[in-house]
Amino acid sequence: MDTSSPSAFVNGALLRRYIGQKVRTVVQVIGSDMGSVVGKSTDDLQIFVKGSPPASTTTYLEVIGIAESENSIRAETWTNFGISFDALNYNELCKLANGEFKHLFI
Amino acid sequence: MENSVTQNGIATVLSNQSTDSSSVRPEIVVQVVDLKPVGNRYTFNANDGKMKIKAMLPATFRSDIISGKIQNLGLIRLLDYTANDIPGKSEEKYLLVTKCEAVAPPLDAEIKAEIKASTGIMLKSKQEFVAKSASQIINEQRANAAPAARMAITRRVHPLVSLNPYQGSWTIKVRVTNKAVMRTYKNARGEGCVFNVELTDEEGTQIQATMFNAAARKFYDTFQMGKVYYISRGSLKLANKQFKTVQNDYEMTLNENSEVEEARSEEMFIPETKFNFVPIDELGAYVNQKELIDVIGVVQSVSPTMSIRRKNDNEMIPKRDITLADETKKTVVVSLWNDLATGLGQELLDMADNYPIIAIKSLKVGDFQGVSLSTVSRSNVVINPDSPEAAKLKSWYDSEGKETSMSTIGSGISSSANNGSRSMYSDRVCLSHFTSNPSLGEEKPVFFSTRAYISFIKPDQTMWYRACKTCNKKVTEAMDSGYWCEGCQKKDEECSLRYIMAVKASDSTGEAWCFAFNDEAEKIIGCTADELNKLKSSEEGEANEFQTKLKEATWSSHLFRVSVSKQEYNSEKRQRITVKGVSPIDFAAETRLLLQDISKNKTSQ
Ligand SMILES: [Zn+2]
Repeated sequence: MDTSSPSAFVNGALLRRYIGQKVRTVVQVIGSDMGSVVGKSTDDLQIFVKGSPPASTTTYLEVIGIAESENSIRAETWTNFGISFDALNYNELCKLANGEFKHLFI
Repeated sequence: MENSVTQNGIATVLSNQSTDSSSVRPEIVVQVVDLKPVGNRYTFNANDGKMKIKAMLPATFRSDIISGKIQNLGLIRLLDYTANDIPGKSEEKYLLVTKCEAVAPPLDAEIKAEIKASTGIMLKSKQEFVAKSASQIINEQRANAAPAARMAITRRVHPLVSLNPYQGSWTIKVRVTNKAVMRTYKNARGEGCVFNVELTDEEGTQIQATMFNAAARKFYDTFQMGKVYYISRGSLKLANKQFKTVQNDYEMTLNENSEVEEARSEEMFIPETKFNFVPIDELGAYVNQKELIDVIGVVQSVSPTMSIRRKNDNEMIPKRDITLADETKKTVVVSLWNDLATGLGQELLDMADNYPIIAIKSLKVGDFQGVSLSTVSRSNVVINPDSPEAAKLKSWYDSEGKETSMSTIGSGISSSANNGSRSMYSDRVCLSHFTSNPSLGEEKPVFFSTRAYISFIKPDQTMWYRACKTCNKKVTEAMDSGYWCEGCQKKDEECSLRYIMAVKASDSTGEAWCFAFNDEAEKIIGCTADELNKLKSSEEGEANEFQTKLKEATWSSHLFRVSVSKQEYNSEKRQRITVKGVSPIDFAAETRLLLQDISKNKTSQ
């Protein structure tokens, strides 16, 4: 496993902890244009994802990239997660991965 | 794969026809036009966009044509053929195709060269004409569709059972056996509307078809309950097992370009309602699952109507409870709702003294009072059906059932499970729960749900038995030929194999041997016992397809509904775990369950 460049699981609220670092999150796409996607995080916050999104996006989108501010990410990897995704589960995962079980995650 | 015909293909065929049979003929792709049966053969015109020639397919292609492999307007590659003279017409030839393969599904129209060629006569010009490719034609057709006319060209009705997502075009003839109301929805992409219909063909096969937005608005008024339609140009995808309401691996989506045409003034068929009855004592396995079940029973009692306030909109809706019994000597309460409560329920109340038999299709199994049944909008009730099951039940009831003492299915289960609330998730246990509780199931079978991997299927066990095709009971080989069924008291030339097998299940806490019968074993193995037997006999040796199939089934996880009971083997009582239901894993639901467990563990620490 490549551990040289870990990306932390985050939701909207956790993003501020990782400014300047690599994060991964899943958003519900609200709008998109050439250079960015506006998404809703799994804890209902707005996140701006910059970079070059895929030509067509599904309802849910996973992005991995650098947290630029408390509500924006410059994404390097974009992955369509389809139209059915359990946001609640993902949000709980983010909380566990940043809470008392942090040591279990890279 | 080639998507266009061979240029000047027909000319090539004709110029090669004089060579002797040993020479290699060029393989040529042509379009099938005007395909029709003539006796047990088929004639068509082979079209290369420039020329057409009469052609014939011998009876050996019948199955390819019936299965839709070779279709009108589709493309085929001619692999072996002869060009023969048509008797009495020395200038004209016809092509006898002895070997060919399908290359592309039907196009929307005949392929024609850009420049009009006079029919039947080869152009003398040396100029190369470009035949249109299939995709070109499809694109052009999309713009100016003339549905009715086109459908008439390709109208060859496919049985619903033959449809799959990989098929080209098809037309089905179906009756609307259920129509849902239009629903509106809102999501991130905006608002929309959706409705679905349940379609049933002559053979009783059903499929659900869904329409969104423009398609929903276009077809909502077209589809009328009980009417028969020709439908084509829908798309198929694997059905979502979680929400499946009919027995079909696929579901259909119709879009704006789909074609729906009422079959007026044609012979109507009445699809028979296919029932798949679950005995009352096996209903426990279905509690709170999304799967709808069918039940048949003798009506024991009918309640007056009640008015129940619906939670979500406070509307008062009528409800009536009836009690059904069957040969398992168990009874279950069925709640009839809405029109079924007032109309049919009243009818049942009036005839209750005669203990009518009723068959109900599509019931939800809930955990109220342990196990109870409830009608949904698409439930279908038949009073005193004219079927062998009904006759058998009636004669059992008249002869002994009436005097037998029965118990309700719910009470037995809820008392043994020691808690009133039961569902796939609330009575979830790990395998160690069985292995560490040897007394489990001592008094009566107890039911649980467990998520586990199949870890071993012993390949050399007896996995199936020869069963009667009518009643599924074990048959014995008859003296001369065929099979004798003791149950039916008759002989049949054929029998079918039904599974009864032992499988080892494993999870993080341990492992346990479970018994699985036919339906459950089919879901575990992924094919029927007959199919598996074929694999077994087709090849010998170590790594045959049979072994592979078993290996594929191993290390896949399922959600199992199991019953645990004690059975005597050689005067020793042993635990027996029987698989009563197999469902695919709903990962989101399982994750929630795990999250619940994590938070439970945290608070208990
Ligand atoms: Zn039989």
